[in-house]
Amino acid sequence: MVQINFARKEVNCKIVFYGPGMSGKTTNLEKVYENAPDDHKGELTSIATEGDRTLFFDFLPLDLGQVAGMNTKFQLYTVPGQVYYNSTRKLVLQGADGVIFVADSQRKKMDENLESLGNLEENLREYGVDIKDIPLVIQYNKRDMPDVLSVEELEKTLNKWGVPTVEAVAVKGQGVFPTLKALAQMVLDNLNKEYGVAADKGKAPAKPAAASAAGTAAPAPARAGTGTATATPPRGAPSPTAPSPKPAAGPAPKPAPAPARPSGAAPAAPRAPTPAPKPAAPPPKPSPRPAPAPAARAPAATAKPSGLRPAAAPPPPRKPQPQKKSGGMVVVIIIIVLAAAATLAFALLQGGSGGGT
Amino acid sequence: MRDEQKLREQRLVFYRDDMEKIGRHLTEFLKLAGAKCAILVDKEGHMVDKRGESGDFDLDTISALVAGSFAATKEMARILGEEQFTVLFHQGQKESIQLTLVGDRTLLTVIFDESTTLGVVRLYADEVSKKLAVLFEKIKVRGASGAPPEEGISQEFGGAAKTRLDELFGK
Repeated sequence: MVQINFARKEVNCKIVFYGPGMSGKTTNLEKVYENAPDDHKGELTSIATEGDRTLFFDFLPLDLGQVAGMNTKFQLYTVPGQVYYNSTRKLVLQGADGVIFVADSQRKKMDENLESLGNLEENLREYGVDIKDIPLVIQYNKRDMPDVLSVEELEKTLNKWGVPTVEAVAVKGQGVFPTLKALAQMVLDNLNKEYGVAADKGKAPAKPAAASAAGTAAPAPARAGTGTATATPPRGAPSPTAPSPKPAAGPAPKPAPAPARPSGAAPAAPRAPTPAPKPAAPPPKPSPRPAPAPAARAPAATAKPSGLRPAAAPPPPRKPQPQKKSGGMVVVIIIIVLAAAATLAFALLQGGSGGGT
Repeated sequence: MRDEQKLREQRLVFYRDDMEKIGRHLTEFLKLAGAKCAILVDKEGHMVDKRGESGDFDLDTISALVAGSFAATKEMARILGEEQFTVLFHQGQKESIQLTLVGDRTLLTVIFDESTTLGVVRLYADEVSKKLAVLFEKIKVRGASGAPPEEGISQEFGGAAKTRLDELFGK
């Protein structure tokens, strides 16, 4: 089965060349090896008998290279064609992502073709795979031989499922790449159907968002808009620089902090201290801006409080100020009272002494 | 739908978190066992991860041969009435390989030389296999659950693949 390794950015697929003995499976692999660019192929390994018949399998790793960011590799195997090697044939077939059935076009080989095809169907079934469900391409090989059946006859006899077929003379390299290409395309299309859609649905952002927490948060806000996961924005938000690319067209520096808050619903609390020391001037401006933006996105989450935070931030500095003012008033009043009392006392004293003389 | 479910169960999908855990286990194992290299291979012959010094040998080929070798001995085991052999050992003059089954579909391949002993390798391989088996079981269950993938392949994968195939095999 296809192995997808998102950490290593790798996709590995297993393709098996199947067919009767001497139909040209190993020749197909040899031609792929001969003609594939050096930097795309590994070693061709054969476990063969003295008589050069495949004993276990031939193996060729083929590297397709980077496909949409994933290093895509094919492992090509052939099976031994001889009837008595069925147990090893079955082992090699295990976990195959696609099968190329190499049929011998010669009239006298038709029974062998049919037997091998039936054997393929049966072996797949034993692995719980219906032959109709696995990518399959039939190659009509040895088209240059005398007494070959017409393609129509071959189609009628061998292609019960209406799968793609390719005519070939593998020994001359004809039809080898088109066969492999047809199957590879089917295998990758299958993969794309299953995992390609996932990226569309906004599931992918989960990981990039984690990465954004580490540093590059720039893409996070963009995804937050399209993605369904409300978890994304909080992660993307921690970086205060994130929003800057968003309002690129508008007034650059000031709008920057503004969207940061709306998108960063939850983290607003921890961030509250940062805006304060950071720019002394922006605080007043962000507060009016975030108001419209978060209103749209925030309702579900805790964005509202975060939107309010910048507005709430100024009051604390205000509080001490009134305290200082009222304290001053009290002092003034006390001074006035004391002055009045002193004046009264002085007057009384003067009145008292005058009356005595 | 049933086929899709089956496919998901069979398919191995590894995410960053999985690979970090696997890597930690393998690194720790190498330190304890004194082995040169540890390679995790699935039964289809695809390499999952590798730690240590692998020299210049082709890892894809080693992985395919390891899986093939294991599959072949499974048949031997079956003939003897065993389900499968869980440990295989190939001794060379300088370098040896030990294969240990991890869970039900992954193989831990350990390459080591005379600087350590088979006993030590086997002891720690057995230990780490159990830890890895737990991890792989979680990965399998996650795959079977039909939970949406944590990460996806880019939407452009299909188109890009076609272009690459054209480049490699001609139009």
